Amino acid sequence: MEVEQQNQNNREGGAQVVLCLQPSSSISIAYHPSFGPHDDLMLLEVDEKLLSDILDQKVTLRGQPNEDAVLCTPSKTYVVKFVGTSNSVLLIPPSDQFAYDCDEKDSGEMEVASVIKVAPGCMELVEVAPRLDKLKFLLSENLYSFYEASQMDVSEGVEKCDVGLYRWEDLVHRIQASDMELRSGLEALFAVEINGYWRILDEDYKDGILNMLLHNSVLNDWSFDALGEDEVVAVLVADGFPGQIARHCLQIYGSKADEGIGGSCIWRLDERRVCVHFAKRILRGGKMRLENFMEEWMKKAPEGMRATFDMLEGEVLSEKIGIETWIYAFSISTLPSTPTERFSILFKERTKWEWKDLDPFVRDLEVPGLSSEGLLLKYTRRTQPTMDAEPIFTAR
Amino acid sequence: MQIKVKCGCGEGKCEEWAIVELQGVVEAQPSFQDRLHNLQIGLLCRPSSQETCTFTVGYHELTGTKVPLKKPMLVLKKVKKEVLDEEVKEATEDKEEDIGIANSRAELEVIGIIRHKILFKTRPKALISSGPQPVAKGKSQ
Repeated sequence: MEVEQQNQNNREGGAQVVLCLQPSSSISIAYHPSFGPHDDLMLLEVDEKLLSDILDQKVTLRGQPNEDAVLCTPSKTYVVKFVGTSNSVLLIPPSDQFAYDCDEKDSGEMEVASVIKVAPGCMELVEVAPRLDKLKFLLSENLYSFYEASQMDVSEGVEKCDVGLYRWEDLVHRIQASDMELRSGLEALFAVEINGYWRILDEDYKDGILNMLLHNSVLNDWSFDALGEDEVVAVLVADGFPGQIARHCLQIYGSKADEGIGGSCIWRLDERRVCVHFAKRILRGGKMRLENFMEEWMKKAPEGMRATFDMLEGEVLSEKIGIETWIYAFSISTLPSTPTERFSILFKERTKWEWKDLDPFVRDLEVPGLSSEGLLLKYTRRTQPTMDAEPIFTAR
Repeated sequence: MQIKVKCGCGEGKCEEWAIVELQGVVEAQPSFQDRLHNLQIGLLCRPSSQETCTFTVGYHELTGTKVPLKKPMLVLKKVKKEVLDEEVKEATEDKEEDIGIANSRAELEVIGIIRHKILFKTRPKALISSGPQPVAKGKSQ
């Protein structure tokens, strides 16, 4: 009887009893024997729909020490925000967590729920666009070039310098994006995995292999709309390009037209991507008079492809100097993807924008919870001198 | 760096924790300040079958209710995974960036979930009689 009494003294009921407190009953709330700041314990508020990903252990926190932490599910990225509270949030664990020795004192035959810490607030998640700008920056540190391609044959076994080279694992540690977003980011950059490292081909190398592909198309009478993968790759390999990169070249400048029966895929060259490539090559030297540029571009564009000016949307800007129109390269792919930085660079480039010029450079901006009109309202000032005049956008 | 969020409970059977939330700050009398452990804060009582509760702290009584959280909250615990000496050496040999990699051995573990809290959002009412009011005896089941 006495022993039983002892056991009942100060019985730890924990969270269970607090949550299921029966009518006409009570429980003593006390400081836990190991009550303290417990900075290693944190509260994270999550959406019900995220819960299964977290409980299935598919979630990670990513970021460098100098960045805000983001939480990544397999497909999305969320910024983690700490939200403080001035209320006292007493945190009570279930009775079987945190070892509890109850021999110190007793307060009668009372069940106790023990408070392990007072939570200063909790962390909340806000969905954000993946932070992929750094990906391009990292992969541009060490571009794959003719030089390296030629070295590869010779320097077998020689220790390779891997400065500025990143494996998938390295990228995951450095880029604040979910796996799925990182994959599409790599695709958008036309990056390719070479010897375990994700690489971007350098412009001269891309130019070299594309020209070789076009050259071979003419020689072998291939149609740009129906390139047999095996055949193309075999010929490019014979010309000295690694097979993997030959295959990648089809991905950069074309799209799969047909899976192909019995293995070999059929690819179709993308007229726009091929033509834009040549336009960029021509404009590498700087500003050109529109007429001169067009003349040269027509010359450079492969026979059978039609280069039209609207292909250059988001790739060039034109300006009027007197009666002449000059154009220069200004590619959306070089612009940051966060709205604040994007608009800041756009307005540095040009203080006033007409809508038709601005649109190609802001169309891709996406902020969860903000429409494209909202985006313009937030980052630009719109003026329209008369009703039928073109609206002009300036910096806010 | 990457910190994995682990969950040992598996299959969504996370143990539920409880929150008792009240306005302001609970302060122990100065003589108890450094002896908080096991000290009773107050008595939580559910007088009837309604979800209303009272929380008696000293000579004050709070009235509140058990409310479901709009979104569940997870209780995370930072866990430092033990790193072998060799691994540490290897990681720290290659300058700055690898600090991140060394740290990435840290993990967060989900140790509980919170779906309800007992919320006391009113100001406390002073009890006229001295000492806590009589309450029902603790249930043994």
